[in-house]
Amino acid sequence: MNSAATPVPSHDISTKIPLYEASTQFKHWRHSPEGLSRVRQSQNEVAVAAIRNNLEANEPGSSADVAFLTADEEVLLVRLYIAKITPLCANFRFPEEVEATAMTYLKRFYLKNTVMDWHPKNVMLTAVFLAAKTTNNLISLEVYAKGIPGTMPHNVLDLEFLVAQSLGFEFAVWHAHRALWGIWLDLQNLPGGTLDSAAYDAAMSEIRASRLTDVELIYTPSQIALACLSLVSPALSQQWAASKLTPNGSETSLSLAAVQGVIGDIQKIIKANGAPPSVEAVRDVDRRLRLCQNPEKIVGSKLYLAKQAEAERKAEEKRNKKAESVRKTMEGDPFGSTLPPSKPGLVDYDDDDDDED
Amino acid sequence: MQAWVTDVGAGGTCDLGLSLACESCIDRLFTLGPAGCPIPGCGKNLRKLAFTPQTFEDLGVEKEVAVRRRIAREFNKRREEFRDLRSYNDYLEEVEDITFNLINDIDLPNTEARIQRNRAENTASIELNNQREELYAQSLKEQEDADRREREHRADELRREEETERAEREKGKREIIDKLETSHKDAFKVVAKSRASALKRASARTTSTQTQSNAKLLRSRAAQSTIVPDVPHVPFTDNYSAYEDKFSLKVGGYSDFMSEAVRKDREGIMRGGGYKVEEAWERAIRCGVASLDLPPLSESIDVDILMNPA
Repeated sequence: MNSAATPVPSHDISTKIPLYEASTQFKHWRHSPEGLSRVRQSQNEVAVAAIRNNLEANEPGSSADVAFLTADEEVLLVRLYIAKITPLCANFRFPEEVEATAMTYLKRFYLKNTVMDWHPKNVMLTAVFLAAKTTNNLISLEVYAKGIPGTMPHNVLDLEFLVAQSLGFEFAVWHAHRALWGIWLDLQNLPGGTLDSAAYDAAMSEIRASRLTDVELIYTPSQIALACLSLVSPALSQQWAASKLTPNGSETSLSLAAVQGVIGDIQKIIKANGAPPSVEAVRDVDRRLRLCQNPEKIVGSKLYLAKQAEAERKAEEKRNKKAESVRKTMEGDPFGSTLPPSKPGLVDYDDDDDDED
Repeated sequence: MQAWVTDVGAGGTCDLGLSLACESCIDRLFTLGPAGCPIPGCGKNLRKLAFTPQTFEDLGVEKEVAVRRRIAREFNKRREEFRDLRSYNDYLEEVEDITFNLINDIDLPNTEARIQRNRAENTASIELNNQREELYAQSLKEQEDADRREREHRADELRREEETERAEREKGKREIIDKLETSHKDAFKVVAKSRASALKRASARTTSTQTQSNAKLLRSRAAQSTIVPDVPHVPFTDNYSAYEDKFSLKVGGYSDFMSEAVRKDREGIMRGGGYKVEEAWERAIRCGVASLDLPPLSESIDVDILMNPA
């Protein structure tokens, strides 16, 4: 009773957790550049070892001359499909948010999986459908599948749970394009700081380029947005950053100069990787992928059939077991054996007349 | 058919839910004083006094009502007896605790002791409040009586008015006929003149009868209840900072081509669900300043995070 009487504690601003650092994006999807490549490398190695095993089991000696994909080649392939999300979303007139979210999902998915297990073509379709749902722009599955040639509803739906699971069901994404809008609005609080819509559009195209890179897995959305704006209007961005940041940093916060350095890094990455990969470069990767795909997951392969048979056998076993138990219960008299005669109690409950006996 | 149950009062309670069909059954079993419960396995000592007619189908409800009636007699402090709202609320909570314990048979000896203690400490106040309660009930009853009399009186009045009106109308008609018989004037003029005088009489009547509405009564009753000041309720406090120190919204709004369609939407179709462009702006700007100074991960920390994902 008394616990409710304690006054509301007034928090010191320094001990408070900034909202962004409470997000799953900060907690689970933020990497260092080195960490990122290490994750991909180990993912690749594990997958290659597993697939080599499976190939050997399928046909002994067959894995000797297979050229498996490297981690970099996997990234290249994924980037191609990230770039394909843009025309797909334009086709359905999805808003920017769906596009950006789907791209984030695809990137995150391939930090937990490899293209040799799950081809990005199907995962991409699922990621867009899932992003449309999680950003409240949903579209019916039939309409969606009909809008993409050669796609059936089950192609999209089969992978949906896998994708959601790989994302850890963490669907909320902090986007750089929203941060850019915010910074562009906030510029109006600076004296003479208004930028026209053309400059905004130019910065937005830089944001779109940044989505083809890994920057969102390394930096915060506000840093990416500032970097993109800075590419369009360096002086104004500098002025705005100076109004928000202190000249002296600490362990947990960067100084103004350090942020400028971070922005420079982001811009370098965007310039280097901000264009979709050429189809020619990817074609070879895709051709080789067909040879080194995990046979467990290719319909019709020996291993796939073996796995199916195994699953089928297990299901059959389960069915038999169930039938057996049902049969047992149905045997004999459905009403069971007769009960022993009950002993007469103190009160005769069957006596419902009013006579005094 | 009304059943008689033991679940509520003094004189013992059957835990197995004994219920008897009529009073003669009770007489038959308990006429010689306390006797064991006839349900085998219960055997509790019960008295005739323990049985009350069952009002609710659910015995749990029956019991709760009885417990609440009892508790309301014991714990009847009022808001005015407390310094502030919080201590009053604490008191109410304690009462509810005791009630809950009694209803659900939790820690009965202790609970009864609490009730005893309360009675010992507050005998005077309980008595006083009970008297007040009675007085209030009485005054309420008087008020209701007065209201009812007032209504009856008004209905009488109306009936009488109608009668006099009808009588006057009859009289007017007869007058017109008389005049038409006896005078030599123009028939139309005679009718018009008598109609005018009838109208005058009717309007005089309506202004004289002052109908008192009972709205005045309601107002006076509302004024009796005093206004209790209450501290503002803080619904939710957390330990997150939403970067309030990093930005302030521009007064008068932004010039923003992105949200033009929403702001120019005169019928408010787009804002139907409660959309406010200011909130969208605030969210965007918050996102724009969020963790702008966050250092990118360095190698040593990253290993940690990878080792313990989530």
